[in-house]
Amino acid sequence: MNAKLEKLAASLRVILGDNLAGLVEHVGEITIDVKAAGWLAAAKLLRDHPELRFEQLIDLCGVDFSAYGNSEFSAGNWQGKRFAAVVHLLSLSNNWRVRVHIFAEDDEMPMIDSVVDIWPSVNWYEREAFDLFGVIFVGHPDLRRILCDYGFIGHPFRKDFPLVGNVEMRYDPELKRVVYQPVSMENRVTIPRVNREESYGA
Amino acid sequence: MDVSIQGVFEKGYVTTSLDTVFNWASCGSLWPMTFGLACCAVEMMHSAASRYDMDRFGIVFRPSPRQSDLMIVAGTLTNKMAPALRKVYDQMAEPRWVLSMGTCANGGGYYHYAYSVVRGCDRIVPVDVYVPGCPPTAEALLYGLIQIQNKIKRTQTISRT
Repeated sequence: MNAKLEKLAASLRVILGDNLAGLVEHVGEITIDVKAAGWLAAAKLLRDHPELRFEQLIDLCGVDFSAYGNSEFSAGNWQGKRFAAVVHLLSLSNNWRVRVHIFAEDDEMPMIDSVVDIWPSVNWYEREAFDLFGVIFVGHPDLRRILCDYGFIGHPFRKDFPLVGNVEMRYDPELKRVVYQPVSMENRVTIPRVNREESYGA
Repeated sequence: MDVSIQGVFEKGYVTTSLDTVFNWASCGSLWPMTFGLACCAVEMMHSAASRYDMDRFGIVFRPSPRQSDLMIVAGTLTNKMAPALRKVYDQMAEPRWVLSMGTCANGGGYYHYAYSVVRGCDRIVPVDVYVPGCPPTAEALLYGLIQIQNKIKRTQTISRT
């Protein structure tokens, strides 16, 4: 960690205090975990505190950790919460960035405070995370779907959502309109065939 | 009807000649509705631009379905867009034709197994010509448009047998 990141990490530890659940530095980037209950207060501090000044929100996206670490070689053993929002912040005045994880407390009904009043640019990002992952942003002024079609049921980026979906569309000549019908094909997962020599990677 | 012209309106010289004139007129001024949905639309623009120049075939893009007799479905048709596509098709006046451009519009293509894409625009509208490719080149689209013109030349509107 260089001196500048050291300074940022120290400030974050002091300023966020109890709301900070973790801080990791990797490849010159700082990632912090913020408790969901203290997210709104922490966000205000991140933006307004003179030692931080994260005026700009670059991105917010949802994450479903339920299959985290699963791979061909190992079964995941993720013990933490299922849903999280990941926020990327930028401070133009201090020229530094931080990545913030906020894990939703309830896996069945994930709820995270909306930060629309702090960074207005987050509006559509929160709608996107709601649409794709079903994370509810409490206090959002207009939490509608943003990408999926208007009658869509479910949240397609959740790990338990089938890739082919549950419905498909066709035109019905009798009703003279486009209708939904149950999907007519099996869910298919492509498993890549990997040929490796015995000493691969050694 | 006078006895002397009976039979003329069955498959005779007058009706087939009228058909030829009608077909010549409609394939010489094929006005497509622009329905660019994805990257295929860029190739569609190329075929309309100066190098390939659709205007040479009398094909001029119209911004309104009421004025067009051909719809070029250029790109991925999503579930969200499908009702709008059908509505635009219904607004077009008869006779009308549909050209499906690219693998996505033909059968879902790259997104065939996706939850949000219609697996072929022929599930929504009847298609006359399919142009393969991802995306099809401007030449391929022009070839498809010439196939549409050939199809129009074969239609019999008046001299039905």
